[in-house]
Amino acid sequence: MDQTTSSSCEIRANDAPLAPAPTGRGHWRSVEELQQTPEFRSFLDREFPEGASEASEEDRRQFIKVMGASFALAGVASSGCLRWPETKIVPAARGTENRVPGHAVSFATCLQLDGVAVPTMATSFEGRPIKLEGNERHPSASGGSSAMTQARILELYDPDRLRSTTHKGAASSLPEFDGWWATRANELRAKQGEGLAILSEASSGEAHARALELVTKAFPKVRIYVHAPAAMTNEQAGTAIAFGAAKRVLPDFGKAKVVVSFGSDFLADHPASVRFAGDYAKGRRLDSTDPKQQQLTRLYSVESRLSLTGMNADERIAVTPSQVQAIAAMVADRLGAVPGCATAGDARLEGTDAKVAQALIKDLQDAKGRALVVAGPTQPAAVHAIAAAINQKLGAAGTTVSYIPAPAALPGIAEFVRDAASIDTLIVLGGNPAYDAPSSLGVSGLIAKIPNVVRLAYRQDESSVACAHGWVIAAAHPLECWGDGAAWDGTLSLQQPLILPMMGAEAGGLSAVELMLRLAGSEPRTGYEFTRQVYARKSGLAGADFEVAWRAALSEGWWPGTSAKPQASLSVDTAKVAAAPVSITAEGQLELFFDSKVHDGRFANLGWMQELPDVVTKLTWDNALLISPAMATRMGLKAGSMVRVTTSAGSVVAAAWVLPGHADGCASLALGYGRGAAAGRLADGCGFDGYAVMVPGAFSSACQFAKDSGSYDFAHTQDHGAINQFDTTVSALKPNVPADGAAERLGGLVREATLGEYRDHPDFAKHRVHVVHRLSLWEETNLDGAKFRWAMSVDLSTCTGCSACVTACQAENNIPIVGKAMVKRGREMQWMRIDRYFKGPQGSPTGFAIQPVTCMHCENAPCEQVCPVAATVHDDDGLNVMVYNRCVGTRYCSNNCPYKVRRFNFFNYHKRTPDREEGFLKTQPEYYISEGPDRWLQLQFNPDVTVRIRGVMEKCTFCVQRINRARIEAKNGWAQKGGSAGSPDWKVADGAIVTACQQACPSGAIVFGDLNDPNSKVSRLHRQPTSYQMLEEINTKTRLRYVARVTNPAIERPAANDGHGHGTPGQDAQNKEHS
Amino acid sequence: MSRFLFPRWSNAALPLVAVGGAIAPLYIAFLIAYAWSPKTIEVGYKPTQPVPYSHALHVGQLGLDCRYCHTTVDRSAHASVPATQTCMNCHTQVQKDSPKLKPVRDSYASGLSVMWTRVHALPDYSYFDHSAHVNRGVSCVECHGRIDQMEVVQKAAPMSMGWCLECHRNPTDNLRPLDRITQLSWDQRTEMTAEEREALKKLYHINPSENCSTCHR
Repeated sequence: MDQTTSSSCEIRANDAPLAPAPTGRGHWRSVEELQQTPEFRSFLDREFPEGASEASEEDRRQFIKVMGASFALAGVASSGCLRWPETKIVPAARGTENRVPGHAVSFATCLQLDGVAVPTMATSFEGRPIKLEGNERHPSASGGSSAMTQARILELYDPDRLRSTTHKGAASSLPEFDGWWATRANELRAKQGEGLAILSEASSGEAHARALELVTKAFPKVRIYVHAPAAMTNEQAGTAIAFGAAKRVLPDFGKAKVVVSFGSDFLADHPASVRFAGDYAKGRRLDSTDPKQQQLTRLYSVESRLSLTGMNADERIAVTPSQVQAIAAMVADRLGAVPGCATAGDARLEGTDAKVAQALIKDLQDAKGRALVVAGPTQPAAVHAIAAAINQKLGAAGTTVSYIPAPAALPGIAEFVRDAASIDTLIVLGGNPAYDAPSSLGVSGLIAKIPNVVRLAYRQDESSVACAHGWVIAAAHPLECWGDGAAWDGTLSLQQPLILPMMGAEAGGLSAVELMLRLAGSEPRTGYEFTRQVYARKSGLAGADFEVAWRAALSEGWWPGTSAKPQASLSVDTAKVAAAPVSITAEGQLELFFDSKVHDGRFANLGWMQELPDVVTKLTWDNALLISPAMATRMGLKAGSMVRVTTSAGSVVAAAWVLPGHADGCASLALGYGRGAAAGRLADGCGFDGYAVMVPGAFSSACQFAKDSGSYDFAHTQDHGAINQFDTTVSALKPNVPADGAAERLGGLVREATLGEYRDHPDFAKHRVHVVHRLSLWEETNLDGAKFRWAMSVDLSTCTGCSACVTACQAENNIPIVGKAMVKRGREMQWMRIDRYFKGPQGSPTGFAIQPVTCMHCENAPCEQVCPVAATVHDDDGLNVMVYNRCVGTRYCSNNCPYKVRRFNFFNYHKRTPDREEGFLKTQPEYYISEGPDRWLQLQFNPDVTVRIRGVMEKCTFCVQRINRARIEAKNGWAQKGGSAGSPDWKVADGAIVTACQQACPSGAIVFGDLNDPNSKVSRLHRQPTSYQMLEEINTKTRLRYVARVTNPAIERPAANDGHGHGTPGQDAQNKEHS
Repeated sequence: MSRFLFPRWSNAALPLVAVGGAIAPLYIAFLIAYAWSPKTIEVGYKPTQPVPYSHALHVGQLGLDCRYCHTTVDRSAHASVPATQTCMNCHTQVQKDSPKLKPVRDSYASGLSVMWTRVHALPDYSYFDHSAHVNRGVSCVECHGRIDQMEVVQKAAPMSMGWCLECHRNPTDNLRPLDRITQLSWDQRTEMTAEEREALKKLYHINPSENCSTCHR
C-alpha cells in the first residue's frame, strides 16, 4: 500500500474499504480525506488552511499604499467637514403607470438555450434587470430555475460584451452597415442570392422562422445552416430510427415508478432539466402519512462519467461508453423490446453490476406502464432508439413518456464545412462556431477565407475574431430585445425586453431577427412590430381582440393553445433498431459532455459559473480529464497529472482529476473550456479544450491516453468546510464522557436510510444519535415570546445538488467572485455550499450523498459568544444577524462556527480583479471596474442588500431583506384596515416569504417559514420523524433542520457502519479495529 | 561655540506649556465630538435646488397634501419625488410663463429629468422604510420638521442612529391617528392626551424593534 507523502491525491493500489472517516460516519468527502493528507487536515482542523489568513507580501505593500491613501482622504474629509457626498434625485419627467419607486417589478419572458425556450421571470428594479427566476405559470415549468438561468443576468452586464459595430476591425455603425449591405444586396439579388449563406445558432421562435422565410423570399438561393452543439440531435436521430420520423421525447418523471437512465443527466444537462427535477422530486418526497405505505421512485443509472443524475441514482452501473450501449441493447433484448439487438451479446457485467442489471430488468417488467427509460444527449442514436423501443414495449408511451414532432432539421455545421468554398457572403448569427464545433473541421479557417462576412455577436469571441475581416455587429441580450421561442413541450413563449440595448441604437443592439429583417429589406424593422405581426398572423386575431390576447400572453409569458399535441399511436420498427450502428468498440474511450456550468462554453465568461464548484468534481475555474482511481493507479497518475488524449480528430493535453465512481477504462472531459484571450477576461486560460479531440458527430470516441510531463494546480472545494465532528464533540463532551467510543454515538452529518429501514424505523434519523442534552455554559438566548420563529427545512431526499440555490443566493445577496487563486486558499464567498460525500470503497463507491449547508441560525450560536464587538447577535425572531457596520474583522466567529459557513472579505472583492494565479502572474484585465462609465456589473446589485467591503464577515441571513419586506407589507395592510380595531393581530401568511434559494430550487427541497405557526409547512417538516439537526450533540439548537435522506436501492448491501446506531458493543469493537 | 541656553524669561512659559499640553487633548476631543457630530454637520443642510420650489407656498399656503407629490410614501420604502408631469398638472395653467419654472418646462418638453439635490440621505447600509412609519401613526413632521414653513427644504433632524433609537425606545409621544399623518401643523403632544397616545400604541401594536436586522441587512 502506498504511503501518503505529498499533499496531493495519491491512489492506493489496494481498493479495500478504508477506516471510516471522522466527518460523515461511512461518508467521505474526498480521496484526500480517506488518506488524511496534510492538505485535508489543514482544511479540517483550521478555519482556513495554513497561509490563507496571511496577506501575501505584495498585498502588504498594497495595504500600506491603500492605508496611505485612506489617511490622505480622511484628512481631506475632516478638513472640509463634509456631510455625505452630494447626490441627486432623478425622477422621471413623465410618470410610468404602476411604477412604485423602491418596488421591484417582474416580467414574464424567456431565454433560449440550444434553441429551447426556458420560461423565465425577470425582475427589474427601477429599470435595471437584477434577477432571473423560473416562470411558474408556464405550462412547461414547475417552479424553480437552474444555476445557468440564474447566472444569465450577469451575461447582460458582462464587461466583455461587444459594445460597438466594427468593419475590418475599425469602429463603424449600423447606418454604415446598412449602406454597405444595400450595394451588396443588389449584387446578390441579381444572382438570386447565390453564394449567400446564413450560419445561425438554434432558435425555435416563430419570429425567427418567419424572418428566415423573408430572407429566403428576398434571396431564393440563400443557404441556411444551423449550428447548435448541444441540441438534441442524437435524440432526433434515434427516434427517427425507431419511429421513422424524428421526435422530441417528453418524459414525465412524476408518473414513473422506475426510471432507467442510459447516460442521461436529466437532472442537470437538459433544456427542461428544471421541470424534470421538479417532477422527479414528486416521486422521492416522504409524503405518505403512513411510513409503511411510503413509495419511492427507483432510479437506475447506467453511465460512464459520474453525473449529477448518477449521484442521485439508487443503483448505478459505471461502465465505458460502448458498454452503456451494450447494456441498453441487452436490456432491450431481455425485455423482448428489440429481439436480436446487434450489440446485446457484448454486455459484460460482473459481481454487483450483474445483480443490479437483473434487478433493473425485473423492475422494468414489473412496473410496466409506470416504467421510464431515458437516454442522454451525448449517447449515440442507437441508445435513443433502444430507449424508445423499450418504452414502447413496456407501454410507457402515453403514460410516463410522450412524443411530439421534433423541429425540422436544417443543414448543420458539417454541411457548412462541405459548402464553405462556394459561399461568398456569410452571415453568422450568434453562436460561436469557430470554437464550439469540432476543431478538426477548421471552421475558423473556412470563415476567414470567405470574402464578405457579417457576424452578429454577443461578445468578443473566437468567431468574432474569425469574422474580423468583415462586419461584427454587437448583438442584444435576450433581456434587451423582442422575440419568442418554443419551450421543450412546444409552448410558444414570448420574450420581452426589460431594458434598451445598453450600447445605444447606432452601435448595435440588434437581435438575430432584427438583423435578418434588415438583410431582407422588409418592413417592419423593429423586433416589437415584427413579433406582433407574426403573432397576429398566427393567431388570426386583429385589432382589439389581438391586443387583449397579446397583453395576456405577455403577462403570462406564453401563448395559449400552442403546446404541441403528444402523438398517440406510434409504432417501433424493431428491425431497424436492432441494426442501429455500434459507435465504438475500442479499448480506450473518451466521453465528452456539456459542462454543468459553462454549458458548451457560452457561459465561460460568467464569474458565478466559473466559481461555482461543480457538484460532482467540486472543481472551480477549470474542467479536467476525469478518470477512475483504478485507471489512475495503472497509469501512475494523480490529480493534476497531465495526460495527452489523442483521438482520430486530434489531441489535447489535459490535467487529470481522479473521480471515485467514474467508470474504469475510459475518461471524460467537459466541453466549454480551454480557451484563449478571445473568450473574455474570465474564460481565458480556464481548463482544457474538448472540441480539439471531438470526432465530428460523436460525443464518445476511441482514444489513446499517454502520461505527459508537468502537473496542474486545481482549485477545488471538496475539502472546504470539512467538519471534524468527532473532535468538536469530544472536546465538548470531555469533562464527563470518555472520548473512547464517542464516535459511534454521534449521528452523522448526513443521515440516510433505505426505504425498507425507513418503513420499519421512520424515526431512524433521531436514533442515529442519542444526545445527552446538556446545560449550556452560557446563558442561552431567550427567544420566548417572539412573534415569529423563522426556520428552514432542507429535504435531502429531494435535493439533487443542482446548485441553483448557490447561484441564486449569489445573485440575491451581492456576493462577489474571488478568483481561482483565492478559491485555492479557501476564500470563496458563496454563502451556501453543497457538500458532496462518497460512501463505500474508494474504487467503486456504493453511494453518494449531497448536502447543502448554509448558516444554521443556531439559537445557541457559538459565533455570537466570541464576537468582541457584538457584530453578530440574535434578533427577536431568532435570526442570527450579521451587522456589517459593526464588524471589525477579528474572524473569531468564523473560527468558532462548527458548520464553517461564515465567509470573510479578505479584500474588497467587488473592486478587485479575480486573480487566476497568485502573486505576479495575475494576467486578467480588471473585472469589477469601479470607476468610469464601464461599471456595468454594479447594475446587477440588489439594492436591498448591503454591498460588503474589505474586512467584514458575512454569511447567510435567511434573506432578511425578503423577510422585512413581507413583514412590513403585512403590517401595513393590517394597520390600514384599522389595526387591532379591525382584527386582533397581524400575520405574515405562510409562504409569503420565499428565500432566494427556496425560490430557485427546482425540486422544492428548501422550505422556509415560521415555527410559531404550527400549521406552516416548515413546522410540519420539523415535526417529521426524519427531521434532524446537524451536530445536534453540541447543543446549538439550529433553526435549519434537514429531512433525512431515504434511498430506494434494489439490492441488499451490508450496512456501512451507518446502521441504527445505539453505540452497541459490537460496533464499538468494530470501530476500535479501524482507529 | 557655547551651548544654547534658554533665556531666563522662558521659565515663566513652562507652566503655560504644561497647562496647554493638558488641555490640548480635551480640546481636540471636543473639536472632534462637536465637528463630527451629525447635529453639527447634518442638521440645517440646505442645498440650493435647480427649481426654487417653495413648500411653504404649496403646502403651507395652498394646502397641498404631502401625498399629492410624494405618492408612494404609504406603499413603499421610498417616498418618491414627483415626476415633472406632476408639476405640470397645475403649471400648464398657473404661472405658466414664470422664469423660475423654466427647468420644469424644459424637462417636460425634452423628457429629461430635473436633477434635484438630495437633502435627506442615509448611509447605504441602513434601510429605512417610509411606509412602515406613516402606516403606524408617525407623521412626516416627526423627522422632516415643519416642511410646510420652509421656503427651501432643509434637514431638520440629525437622522443618526442614536436619534432613530430615541423614538424606537419611546415611541408614544410621536404617534397620531393615521388620518392626521400629513397635517404638519397639528401636534399630538398638545391636541391629544398621553392616554390617547398610549391607546394608539395599543391599537397599532407599536412595538418598535431595536434589532440590528430591522435596518441593517
